Amino acid sequence: MDNSNNKDNIWVGQMDLNHEEEFLHTLDQEFADDQVEYAAQAVSLSGNRRDFLKLLGFGLGAATVAAGCDIPVKKAIPYVIKPEEIVPGVANYYASSFVNGGDYCAVLVKTREGRPIKIEGNDLSSVTKGGTSARAQASVLSLYDTNRFTGPKMKDGASWVDTTWEEIDKKLRSALINASGVRIVTNTNMSPTAKKAMAEFTTKYPSAKIVTYDPVSSSALLDANEKNFGVRAIPSYHFDKAEVIVSFNADFLGTWISPVEYTKGYVKGRKIDDITKAKMSRHIQVENHMSLTGSNADNRILVRPSEQGVAIAHLYNEITGGSISTSGLNDRAKSLLSKVAGELKNASGKSIVISASNNVNEQLMINAINNALNNYGTTLDMSAPSYQRQGNDAELKALADDLKGGSVGCVIFCGANPVYDSAYGATIQEGLKKVKTKVSLAISNDDTTDLCDIVAPSTHFLESWGDVEAKKGQFSLIQPTISPLFDNRQAELSLLIWAGSEGLVENSEQPYYDYLKENWKNSFFNLQNEYATFQGFWDNTVHDGVFTFQSSGSSAYTSVSIDGNITKPSSSELEISYYETVHMGNGQYSGNPWLMEMADPVTRTVWGNYLTVPVNFDGIRTMVGYKNLKDGDLVELTIGSKKITLPVLQQFGQMPGTVSLALGYGRLIAGNTGSNVGVNVNDSLTSNASGIGYYNTNVSVSEKVGKEKDFSCVQYHHTIGVRGIDKETNTEVNADESALVTFDYFTGIKGFQGALTDRSVIYTSNVKDLKNNVEHLQERRKEAQHLNAQQIYKGFDHLYSLGHHWGMHVDLNACIGCGACTVACMAENNVPVVGKHEVAIHHEMTWLRIDRYYYGDVENPSTIYQPMMCQHCDNAPCENVCPVNATNHSSEGLNQMAYNRCIGTRYCANNCPFKVRRFNWLDYTKADLWPVNQPRLQEETIPFMADNLTRMVLNPDVTVRARGVIEKCSFCVQRIQEGKLSAKVEGRTLRDQDVRTACQTACPADAITFGDMNNKEGDLNSKLGSPLNYIALEEINVRPSVTYTMKVNNRDKSFDA
Amino acid sequence: MSAVVSPIRKPLITGNKTYHQITEDLISPTEKTPTKAWIIGFIIAVAVATYGIFCIIWTIWVGIGSWNLNRTINWSWDITNFVWWIGIGHAGTLISAILLLFRQKWRTGVNRAAEAMTIFAVICAGLFPIIHMGRVWLAFFIMPYPNTRGPLWPNFNSPLLWDVFAISTYFTVSLLFWYTGLVPDFATVRDRAKGLRRKIYNTLSFGWTGSAKHWQRWESLSLILAGIATPLVLSVHTIVSFDFATSVIPGWHTTIFPPYFVAGAIFSGFAMVLTLMIITRKLLKLEDYITIEHIESMNKVILLTGTIVGVAYLTELFISWYSGYVYEQFAFFNRALGPYWWSYFGMMFCNVVSPQFFWKKSWRRNVTLTFFLSIVVNIGMWFERFVIIATTLARDYIPSSWSLYSPSWVEIGIYVGTMGIFFTLYLIFVRVAPVVAVAEIKHILKTGGNQYVGENAKSHTHHTNEH
Repeated sequence: MDNSNNKDNIWVGQMDLNHEEEFLHTLDQEFADDQVEYAAQAVSLSGNRRDFLKLLGFGLGAATVAAGCDIPVKKAIPYVIKPEEIVPGVANYYASSFVNGGDYCAVLVKTREGRPIKIEGNDLSSVTKGGTSARAQASVLSLYDTNRFTGPKMKDGASWVDTTWEEIDKKLRSALINASGVRIVTNTNMSPTAKKAMAEFTTKYPSAKIVTYDPVSSSALLDANEKNFGVRAIPSYHFDKAEVIVSFNADFLGTWISPVEYTKGYVKGRKIDDITKAKMSRHIQVENHMSLTGSNADNRILVRPSEQGVAIAHLYNEITGGSISTSGLNDRAKSLLSKVAGELKNASGKSIVISASNNVNEQLMINAINNALNNYGTTLDMSAPSYQRQGNDAELKALADDLKGGSVGCVIFCGANPVYDSAYGATIQEGLKKVKTKVSLAISNDDTTDLCDIVAPSTHFLESWGDVEAKKGQFSLIQPTISPLFDNRQAELSLLIWAGSEGLVENSEQPYYDYLKENWKNSFFNLQNEYATFQGFWDNTVHDGVFTFQSSGSSAYTSVSIDGNITKPSSSELEISYYETVHMGNGQYSGNPWLMEMADPVTRTVWGNYLTVPVNFDGIRTMVGYKNLKDGDLVELTIGSKKITLPVLQQFGQMPGTVSLALGYGRLIAGNTGSNVGVNVNDSLTSNASGIGYYNTNVSVSEKVGKEKDFSCVQYHHTIGVRGIDKETNTEVNADESALVTFDYFTGIKGFQGALTDRSVIYTSNVKDLKNNVEHLQERRKEAQHLNAQQIYKGFDHLYSLGHHWGMHVDLNACIGCGACTVACMAENNVPVVGKHEVAIHHEMTWLRIDRYYYGDVENPSTIYQPMMCQHCDNAPCENVCPVNATNHSSEGLNQMAYNRCIGTRYCANNCPFKVRRFNWLDYTKADLWPVNQPRLQEETIPFMADNLTRMVLNPDVTVRARGVIEKCSFCVQRIQEGKLSAKVEGRTLRDQDVRTACQTACPADAITFGDMNNKEGDLNSKLGSPLNYIALEEINVRPSVTYTMKVNNRDKSFDA
Repeated sequence: MSAVVSPIRKPLITGNKTYHQITEDLISPTEKTPTKAWIIGFIIAVAVATYGIFCIIWTIWVGIGSWNLNRTINWSWDITNFVWWIGIGHAGTLISAILLLFRQKWRTGVNRAAEAMTIFAVICAGLFPIIHMGRVWLAFFIMPYPNTRGPLWPNFNSPLLWDVFAISTYFTVSLLFWYTGLVPDFATVRDRAKGLRRKIYNTLSFGWTGSAKHWQRWESLSLILAGIATPLVLSVHTIVSFDFATSVIPGWHTTIFPPYFVAGAIFSGFAMVLTLMIITRKLLKLEDYITIEHIESMNKVILLTGTIVGVAYLTELFISWYSGYVYEQFAFFNRALGPYWWSYFGMMFCNVVSPQFFWKKSWRRNVTLTFFLSIVVNIGMWFERFVIIATTLARDYIPSSWSLYSPSWVEIGIYVGTMGIFFTLYLIFVRVAPVVAVAEIKHILKTGGNQYVGENAKSHTHHTNEH
C-alpha cells in the first residue's frame, strides 16, 4: 500500500483502497452529501515561517484583547431532564385568578420556561368574560418585586432578623393560646376555602374575631342591601340591559366594585353597529370631579360632595314620591335631576341607579328608586349577588376602639394595611403599641407590617393555590404558575397551621392544595351534575379556571323605613372629595412600577397625586384655574388641622367650589416605587356615625407657594375645541383656540376657528345628529382620498394586496380609557419604566397611550379617549427619512424597527405625525457597560430593572432595546409570528383570532380589533365597513393601517343651558 | 495718495502701498511674537472649546438624555446649531467662487479669511449631526460602503444621507480651494523664514518656485475649483433645507425652503465675515486692505439677502393662509403668537428689520453699526432655525403630544463650545497663514488701467536689497 494519504494503512472501504476518483473527491468534504463545492480550499496545512508569525501575532493580539475585556459570565443552564410540559420557546398558559382584596379578574397566566410573564383575560369567565384591568395586567410584576419578604422575620428591637417557620409557628401557637383577644384583619375575602380556614382558626381560638374592611369602603351599600334583601352582598348589575344609567359618584367603569364586568356590559349599550338604527344608552353621572366614569357619561350633573345625599333624596322624592328634605341642593342640579327622573320613569325596568355613597340611608334610597323603577329582576339581579366587596366599617371601627382600649392581645394582618388605608389609621397605629403579638402576612413591607413584630410572609397569587367565589355560584380557581421564589408560606396555610387544623396534612408536599381539593370535594362537587367523578370535575375546573354552578332563588326586596339621616349639605366655601384611581386603588398598588407610571386616564399624571382644581374660561383668552393656579403650582392644602403642600392640576369638569384629590399615594413604606410618592389624605376622611365619607368640607387652599420640581403629566394640552362665552361679544366661541395665543402683538387676535376643531384626528357626533355628521365625515374622507389620489408616487399597493396586510380597528365608542391596554403593552413589549423626573421631561416610553381630549361646553365638557399607537402607515413618513434603513416596511404592511441598525438620529420621531415613536434617551433597560446613565426611579441603590429578579418578567420574544435607539409599537409582531406558525403547523389558513395583540386581549371593552385586512371573512373586515370609521390625518396621505370610529355621545344639550 | 485715481473705480487698496509693503504688512503677523490680545483671546477660546468638548464627551457617555429633548421635540439646539454653522460657512465659497467668476476684484481682500471661516464653520457644523446620534459609535452606518451585512446600504431616500454627501463634498472642495490659494503665500512666508520654519513652509507650499508654469497651473486650478464650488454654494443649503422640506410636518413641509435657506445662509455668512473682518483688520492693522469699500459691498449683499429672507417669511405666512389648510395655518399662527412668539419676533426683527438700515450709504460705511448689526443678524439667523425646528415640532398634528422645550446645560455648553473651537482654529489660522491672500491682492494693486505708482516706480535702487 503506497498511499501518501493513508500513511498508517487506514482505509475506509473498497473505494478508498482503489483510490476511486469519486471517493477521493468526497474525502475533502466535511459532510458526506454536502452539495457545496470546496474547490479553493487550502491544500496544505503545513505553514511556512510567515504563516507562523501571522498566527502568532494574531493569537497574541486576540488573547490580549480577550483578556483585556471583562466579559460578564452569563449562565444558561440547559434542562438536564426536560419537564414534560415545557418546550423551550413555547409559552404555556394556565388558568388562574387575579385577586387582591375585592379586586378580581379571571385570568390566564402566560409562562415561558416556567416563568409567569404576562396576564391575559380568561374568556370562559362568566364574570369578567375575558376582560382585564390595569391592576390585573400589572400584578405579574409584583411577583418579581425586589422588595418582597424573602422569608419569615421577627423584630429584634427596631430591626428585622431572619428566622425560621418552626420558630414562628412555635412562638405564635403559645402566643395565641395565651392571648386574650385575637383579631384577624383582612380586606374582602372571596375565597370559600380561606374562609373555612379562618373559621377553623376562630373555632380553635374563640377569642378570635375576623375584621373585614375595604380600602375604599362599600359598607353602606352592603348594609342597605342586607336591610332590603337580607343578604349582605351586591346585586349583579346588567349595564348591557340598561337604557338609562344614573350614577351618583360611583366610578363603576374604573374602580367601583367590579369595573371589568361592568365595562363589558356598559359598552354593549354604547357601541353603534348600524347607524340607521343608532341607539345608545343614556348615562348621567352626578359628581363633583371628573371621574373616569363621569368622563364617559353623556351628561354630568355637578353637585358638591356634601350635596350627594340631598341629590339622591331629590331623585328619590321624584320617583317614589318620598318627602325627604332636600334643602341645600343647588337649583341647577335640582332641575336637572327632575329631568332625569322623567327619563328614568320612561325607562322603567330598563335603568340602573347606583351610588358610591357610604351612607346607609342614601343607599336605601337608591334601592328604593331601583325598586320603584322595577329594575330588580331585570337590570339588577339579586339571584347572583356579587361578593366583591364585603368590608364592614363597624368592624373596623370596633377594631380601632379595641386596640385603643388595649383589649387585643394578638392581631394578624392578612395583607391588609389599615394603618395607611383606613380612616382610623392613626388610632390603629397608636393602639398597636398595646398589642403583645402583632403578625403580618403581607408579601412585602407596608405601613402596617412595619409596626408588627412577626412577619410570616404569604405568597404571591401566582405562587399560590386558592379559590374565589366572586359572585354567588360563580367560582374560579387560583393555581400556582411558579414555585414560591422565596421561603414564604401561603397565608391560609399559616392560619391552618396555627389553628392546628385536623384537615391539614402538614408534611404533605402541598398541604394547602390538598386542603383546598378536599374542601372542593366535600363542599362543591355534589352541587353539580356535569361531572361524575371528582377528579374529572377538579381537572376541568383547574384547566378552565372557572366553574359556574346553577344558582337558585333570589331574595325579594322588602322595603324598610328611610330616615332623614343623610349627608348634610355644607355651606363652606370649598369642599374636597377623595377618589380612587384606576391604577393606585387606595395604595394597594403603589409599589408597582408599571401602575405608578401608568398615566391616570383623566388627569394624565403619573408618580404622584395632584389636587385637581376647577378651571374656567376668562372670556378673553385664558383658561383660569381656581385662584389663578396653574398646572404644577404648589399650594398648601389645609384640611381641618392637617396641612400639606402638594401640586395642583387644572381639571376641566371639576365643579367650582370643590377640589379633589386621589387616594392611594403618600405611603411611607411601599417599596422603592411607592414610598413617599404624593400625599396621603386617608387621615382626613370624614368619619361620623353614618360612616366614612370620602370628602371633607373643612378645607382651604392657599395661593401658590412654589412650583413642583417635576411636573409629571404626559399631556399638556387637554382640549380639542371646548366652547365658552366670549366676554366682549357675548357669543359662543372656541375657547381654547383663543387660549393658544400667548402674545398677540397688541392686535387683539384671538385664534381662528379650525385650529383645533377641524383637526382630522377626532370626529364626534351626537347620536341624534348622527346622519348629518356621518355625511360630513364621508365628505371629508372623500376629499382627502381625492387629494391623495393626485400623487405621482404609486406606492406598493400591489404588494400589500398579496398575503397578509395587518390592520387594526379601534372603536372609540367602546373605549372608556381605563388604561388596561397600556399596562398590557408595557408587559408584553418590555417597555421600560423611567421614573418621575424622566416623565416630567416627556421621556416616557409608552408605545401605546390613550389621548384624552375635552370638547363641548367648557364648564362641563364631554370627553373622548383615543388609544394612539404606531399607525403602521403604508406610506410611512418615518421610513423614508431614516438614513440607515433602520425602520422599514414589511410586505405585510408592518412598519418595522431594526434596533441593531438604528443609530438614533430621531428624524423618524420628528417626522411621525402621530408622535408615537419613543427614543431611549438614557439606559432605561440597564444594559450598558457603565452605570452612570442608568436612571433611578427613586434613589434606590440598584436601579429598577438592573436586578435579575425584576428582569425575570421580561418577555423573551421581544428585544430589550439599548440606549440611543428608537422604539415603537410593533403590532405585537411576535404574536403575529406565533399566530402564523401555529396556523402553519395546523396546516390551515390564518384566522384573525390567531393573532390578538396585547392591547386587544387586555381590553375589557372589546374596543380593539386586530386582523388581516386581506382576510375578507375576518373579524377586522367585519368592522371596516362601518360608515363611522375614519383614519386619523387621512389627508396627509401617510395611509395608516389603524381605523378609528367617530365618537358618538347621547348628550342632552338642554342640560347645558 | 499720490496715485492717479480713477473717478469711477476707487482703489481697492488704500494707503499707497508698494508690493513690498503688502508683503510686509500681510506676512509679518505670522512672524512676530503674538500680541497680548491674541494670547488672551486664544486662552479664552481654548478654554471654551475644552468645555465644549467636555460637554460632547458627557453627551456620549450619559446619552442624549443629558439634553432636554423629548418625545415631541426630538431636535432642537443640536440641529439649530448645525444649520446655523453651515449657513455661516456659506460666505467663503460664495466669495471665493462666485465672486471670482463674476470678477469681483474686491473679493481678494476678504476671500482668504472667509474661506478659512467656511472651513472652521463647517467643522463646527459637522459635529452636530454626529453627536446628536443616539449611538454615535455606529455613525459609520450612514456611509455607503460594501459590507458583510448583506451588503446593507444606507437609505438613499433620506435627506440626512444627502446631507452627509453635501457637507463632505462642500468641506472637501472648500478645503482644496483654500489651500490652493495658500500655496504661493506659503512660499512667500518660506522665502522669508529660516531653519525649521522654512522647512515646514517649504513642505506646505509644495516646493513652489513661482515659475510661470506654476502660476499658470495655479490659475487654471483656481478656476476649475471655482467652477466646481459654484453649484455647491447653492446645493449645500438646498440639501440642508430638504431635511425639513421633505417631511410631513406642517411648517417644515414647505417648497420655498431651498431658495429661502440659501439666501439666509449667504445672509448669515456675510454677517459672520463682517464680524470677523472688522475685528481682524483692527487687530492686525489691515485697514488698507480690508477697506470701508469692502464693508460697504458686503453690507449690500446683506441688505439684499436679508430682504430676500424677509420676502420668504412673508410668503410663508401668505401661503399658509392661502392654502386653507388648517395645520399649515396653525403652524404659522403658532409661530407668531404661540408660546415661542419671542423667537419669531426676534427672528423677524433681526433678519428683516435690522438690515434695512443699510439702505443709507453712510450707515453702510459705518464700521461700528456694521459690527453691531452683523452680530444681530447672526442672532436672528439662529432664531430662524430655532423657530423652524423647535417651535414647529412643539405644536404639530396631535395636540395631546404638544410639549415645550428649554436647553440643558450640556446643550448650551456644546453650542458655546463650538464657538470656542471656531475661534481657536481661527486664531491659529491668523498666526500661521496670511489672513489676506498676498499673491492675489497684489493683482489688484493696480486697478482701472492706471500706472503703478508705488515707490518702486520712481527708483528701483532703494529697496532692491530688501527683496
